Amino acid sequence: MFVEVLPGGGPAASPVQAVAGRAAAARHPLARRLVPYLYILPAVVLLVLWTYWPLLQNVGLSFQDWNLIPTRPRVFVGTEKYAKVLSLPELRQALMNTVVYIGAFLLISVALPLVFALLSRSVQGRARTFYQALIFVPFLVTPVASSAVWRWLFAPDSGTIPAIAAALGHPMGDVFRDPDGSMTSVIVIVGWQMLGFGVLVIAAGLAGINPDYAAAAALDGARRRQILWRITVPLLSPSLVFLSLMTILLSAQWTYPIIDLVTQGGPGNSSTNIYYLLYQFGFRNFDAGLSAAAGVLFFVGFGLVALLFVELSERLSFHDN
Amino acid sequence: MLSRRKTLLGTLAALTALGISACGTGAGTGQNQAASLIPELGKDQKVEITFESYNLAQAGVWTDTIKGLIGDFETAHPNITVHAQAPQGGGAVGSNTVSSVQTQLLAGHAPDVSQLTFDSLDFAATQLGAQPISDLVGAKAVEDHLDGAHPFHPNAKHLGDWNGKTYGVPYVFSTPVLFYNASLLAKAGVTDPDLSTWDKVADVAKKVSAVTGKPALDLNCTSKGGSWCMQGIFKSNGAQVLSDDRKTIGFGSDAAVDTVSKLAALSKEGVLRNADINAQYEGVIKGDTAMVVTSSALQGMLMQASKKAGWQLKDAAMPGFAGKQAVPTNSGSALFILSSDPAKQRAAWEFIKWMTSDKAYTEISSKIGYLPLRTGLTEKGGSLYEWAQKNPLLAPNLAQLDRLQPWVSYPGNSYVQVDDILATAVENAVYYGKDPKQTMTDAAKRAQDLIH
Repeated sequence: MFVEVLPGGGPAASPVQAVAGRAAAARHPLARRLVPYLYILPAVVLLVLWTYWPLLQNVGLSFQDWNLIPTRPRVFVGTEKYAKVLSLPELRQALMNTVVYIGAFLLISVALPLVFALLSRSVQGRARTFYQALIFVPFLVTPVASSAVWRWLFAPDSGTIPAIAAALGHPMGDVFRDPDGSMTSVIVIVGWQMLGFGVLVIAAGLAGINPDYAAAAALDGARRRQILWRITVPLLSPSLVFLSLMTILLSAQWTYPIIDLVTQGGPGNSSTNIYYLLYQFGFRNFDAGLSAAAGVLFFVGFGLVALLFVELSERLSFHDN
Repeated sequence: MLSRRKTLLGTLAALTALGISACGTGAGTGQNQAASLIPELGKDQKVEITFESYNLAQAGVWTDTIKGLIGDFETAHPNITVHAQAPQGGGAVGSNTVSSVQTQLLAGHAPDVSQLTFDSLDFAATQLGAQPISDLVGAKAVEDHLDGAHPFHPNAKHLGDWNGKTYGVPYVFSTPVLFYNASLLAKAGVTDPDLSTWDKVADVAKKVSAVTGKPALDLNCTSKGGSWCMQGIFKSNGAQVLSDDRKTIGFGSDAAVDTVSKLAALSKEGVLRNADINAQYEGVIKGDTAMVVTSSALQGMLMQASKKAGWQLKDAAMPGFAGKQAVPTNSGSALFILSSDPAKQRAAWEFIKWMTSDKAYTEISSKIGYLPLRTGLTEKGGSLYEWAQKNPLLAPNLAQLDRLQPWVSYPGNSYVQVDDILATAVENAVYYGKDPKQTMTDAAKRAQDLIH
């Protein structure tokens, strides 16, 4: 912008150089075709090194019996570990729990944030930023700290929540020790943390929608509800699909630290999920093959879900210029 | 789009096949057996060792006492530097000692000395690569150290032995003790209670519950993480978790089912509170709990808590079943050498000797509350004599040492899972009304499959 154009200088030189470059590339068509791959090479190398290579090693491990001690032999056992995983009595419960967790988080970190984000549009200026920050802050609290605080809140003797419940005429005991309540408590704690993340994603999606559409529709006499359902939500759908995918794929990981800190999967496996089960078998029971086999199965399962969502997002995506 | 995805999947499948064949050869080299004794350290030979201790994951009296002892060791042995660390990873204190070592082994640098709990003795000696100390320094040197001016109690001395060799030197442990809040009991009109049997405990608990309106007894043993003392309760009723030949799981036996049924009855009568171990600790520290059967290692912390809050702390031995002698089991840990470098092994042995010396037990017992395994220290002329006289809480704990039975470690790679299965079954039967017979026999059957 600030370049001074001299006669016979730069601008004139560059086409010449470009032509020369093109000529050189034409002399080496292979080199020219390789250039784009060189650009993505660093990313690919890192991805292979940190993601795909461990993934392959994991697949290899799933056919072996090994207790993760470097000096102990690895014994090839074929598909025995897969058979064992599928016959584990804990697996069915863990899978069912995982489905319930995902359902609950779809509600808490997708549906609820949508409502919050839409409502917060009517708050203007600094107040809106403050309001969104308030919702987002729990996301920044570490799971250890939040589970400690929630444990006190739920403490049966002196906790605030049981006290309120008792005042309302519904006395509750130790919710973490109740097979019917332990999972709900984990959902509440994780949901409280994840709500902010959902609101952030949806607020960002809303900010990207051009207000002219709504204004134009209003000019044509569209009512607010019509604008919401016919314009805003469809334009928001890529964000919603992304958030749903994140929720499905990551909810098992979000819940993991809270389960470990608050219920350890209990009582009687009532609050465990598949990742916690994986961890227990791999790193507490020293059965690398079993947890690797479980990992492969979950990878395939979640991979299929991800493919479905990728397809869905292609169909739903709008290109708003 | 579709074709691209197909190519990707194809590549992945090909790579997968490659990965399987590549990973097939990872055989280990086996352990080196030390044929001769390791040499003494040279005069100017500098050695650095790493010491991993779960006590360093516990803030307060635990960390302070252990750090103090390490500092004193370094002053006495200026050539040896000790890097002290807590186990890696999460989980309850003392529950992850082996997995932490194993993770570091995989990364190529395991701690040289590690404090491992007794439930992993089998695994540590046969799989993890713990070194047979009696081979490294000679059985006589080990025996001489364990004797000394104030010998180890005979029931404690060989708890870290495996197949006739010393792998671990017993370090800190406790017995199950019934701590009670004497001020709270007095409010219910109970003073100087007889708490020798579960029936008598239940009677006292009911009196306290009549005043407070809530269950009055907490039991570490029946909640997850309390299996060490659950083993003692089983033994008190003639049951065993594992047969003496280490081949048969015993917690499905009639005696074991009867044990669990009796505890379930306590729960049903409203005597026993359903709480996890952390909640139990919090309850007793806050002064809410009337009675708790827990590790005597909590003694130091409870004394501080009771003094601050102004209630009187008393204790009794672990209760038994009517007409039968109670059999306490130990919790806790031994010190193991994991290093294969002779110089580090020698330094590790010097360090272990220091941490299990008269001086160390004087500090560990008086400050934390673990048992002084060199029991002579509490007798007249010993460094703990005055402390023992002033501390009535110690007597039941010490007396239980004479009846102590070891905390049994399960064989095989799945020993943690076996323990988990037992703990889950006990919780289900005691707290959640599941049929004890069905629950315990099912659990025993599953566990039996895992120990082979």
